[in-house]
Amino acid sequence: MDPYSDIVRERFADPAHAGEVENGIAAYFADQGMCIRLTAKLSSGALRELRFQAWGCPHVIAACETFCRCFEGRPATDLEQFETARIMKDLAVPVEKTGRILVLEDTVRSLRAAIADRSPTTQD
Amino acid sequence: MNSAQELVYLDYAATTPMDERVAERMREVQRSAWFNPASNHAAGRRSAAVVAVAAQQTAALLNIAADTLLWTSGATESNNLAILGTARQRAHRGRHLVTMRTEHKAVVDVFRALEKQGFDVTWLDPDSDGRLEIDRLATALRDDTQLVSIMHINNETGVVQDIEGIGRLCRERGIAFHVDGAQAVGKVRLDLASLPIDLMSFTAHKFYGPKGIGALYVADGVALEPQVFGGGQQRRLRPGTLPVDLIAGLGEAASICDGRIDEDLKHLQDLKMRLWRGIRSVAGLVPNGPLDDSYPGILNVSIADVEGESLLLALEPLCVATGSACNSQSREPSYVLRALGRSDREAQGSIRFSFGRGTTAGEIDAAAAAYSAAVKKLRQLAPAQVA
Repeated sequence: MDPYSDIVRERFADPAHAGEVENGIAAYFADQGMCIRLTAKLSSGALRELRFQAWGCPHVIAACETFCRCFEGRPATDLEQFETARIMKDLAVPVEKTGRILVLEDTVRSLRAAIADRSPTTQD
Repeated sequence: MNSAQELVYLDYAATTPMDERVAERMREVQRSAWFNPASNHAAGRRSAAVVAVAAQQTAALLNIAADTLLWTSGATESNNLAILGTARQRAHRGRHLVTMRTEHKAVVDVFRALEKQGFDVTWLDPDSDGRLEIDRLATALRDDTQLVSIMHINNETGVVQDIEGIGRLCRERGIAFHVDGAQAVGKVRLDLASLPIDLMSFTAHKFYGPKGIGALYVADGVALEPQVFGGGQQRRLRPGTLPVDLIAGLGEAASICDGRIDEDLKHLQDLKMRLWRGIRSVAGLVPNGPLDDSYPGILNVSIADVEGESLLLALEPLCVATGSACNSQSREPSYVLRALGRSDREAQGSIRFSFGRGTTAGEIDAAAAAYSAAVKKLRQLAPAQVA
C-alpha cells in the first residue's frame, strides 16, 4: 500500500513555500529526529509571506507546505487556529507519525511567541 | 506514484525478475508433471524425474552431489533449519554458538530465539569495512562451541566474507559451519566440494528463479535435527509434498547462472563503477563497504545530512532500498550499517543500489542524476542548523 496520499506526494514534490523570508521573524524547533524552521514577514498584522525549511520525512515536509499555504495572507492571530489533528487528517498522516507533526505545532507556537516579541527567536 | 511513470528497478538484492526460460520450464512442468513425486506410480515417477533433473542442475552449479540438497520454501526456512537443526542436534555436546551482528534478520532472529532457549550466542562485530577478522573469530571459539554461522555476501553492503578461512578454522575445531548464501548462489562462482562448509542456505528468487523455493546444502556426514514433522520426504529432515514446478524453476535458474556467472559479474562491475563515478562528487557521500572487492551487484552509500525516507521518495520512480528490503517498513536505522560504525543519521540516510542482468548503462546514468538531484533538493529544503 502506498504510504503517501496524493496530496502528500504533490506537496512534497512541489513545496512552493520552501525557503526563508529574508530578515523575517524566525522560529526553529527540533525533536523526534526532525527539525523545522519557519520564517514570516508581517504587514499590518497579517502574515504577508510565510516560508519553511525542514529536515524530515515526506509527511513533515508536506505538513509544512500545507501550513504555509493555509496561513499565508491571514492575520497572525489566526495562528492560534493551527490544529495538528486537522493537518494529519487532510494529509492522511499515519498515527505513528503524530510526534513528528507535533514538531510543526511546536514550531508554530514558537513563531507565535516570536511575533508577539517582534524579535527573532530559536528554541531547541 | 503516478502509474504512468516508468519504474527503474535497482533493487535486485531484494529480488530478481524470473528469467523467461525459467517461467517456460515451470509452465511445461505444470502441464505435464504436476504429480506428487512421492507417489509410487508412473505419474509420480515422472514428477520425481523432474525433481532429480533440477537437483542435478543445482548440484552442478555448486559442484556438489545432488543428494546433499534439501528443498525448502526459501532462504529463511533454510537458515532456520540449518541453525536450529544443528544447535539442537549438538546441544548435548555444548550450547555455545557464534554469529555476526551484520547477519540478515533470518539468521539474527533464529539466534535470538535460541538465546531464549538457553543457548549462549557470541555476536561478533565486523571491522570498519564490514569484514570478520579471522583472529576475532578464533578468540571467540570455545571448547563448547557447536556452530558458527556467517553469511557469504552481505545483503545490504555487498561485503564478502572469507568463508574459506572461517570454514577452515571451524573444521580444525570440529565446529559446524553454516553459510547464508542467499546473495551468493548463482551470482558468484562457488565450489562447495572444495570449501570447508557444512551447510549453505539459498533461495531461487535471488538468481532469476521463482519465489517460494530454496534449498539447504547439507554436507555428507552433517547431522541435523528436523524442525517440522509429518512425512518421510527428504530423509524426514524436511517433510512435505515437493512443489515440482518451483523446484524445476530453481534448477533451470541454476543452470542458466552456471553458464553465465562470469559474464554477469563483468556486467555488474561495469555498472557499479559507472554509478560510483556518477555520484562520487556528491559532497559528504560515504560508501558503505569497500568499493573494490565487495560484490559488484550492490553499491550502498550514506549521506548524513539528508533524511532517508524523503530521499527514497525524491528518487521515485527509481526503486532502491534504504538498507535491507526486509527492514524497509521499520524506518529504523540499519543495524548492519550501525555495526560498521555509521551514525544513526548516516545509517538512516543510506541507499542501497543493486543491479542485475537486466540493468542498463542508461538506467545507471538516470539513477546517478536522480540521486544527485534529490540530495541537492533535500539539502535546499533543510534549515542550515540541523539538530
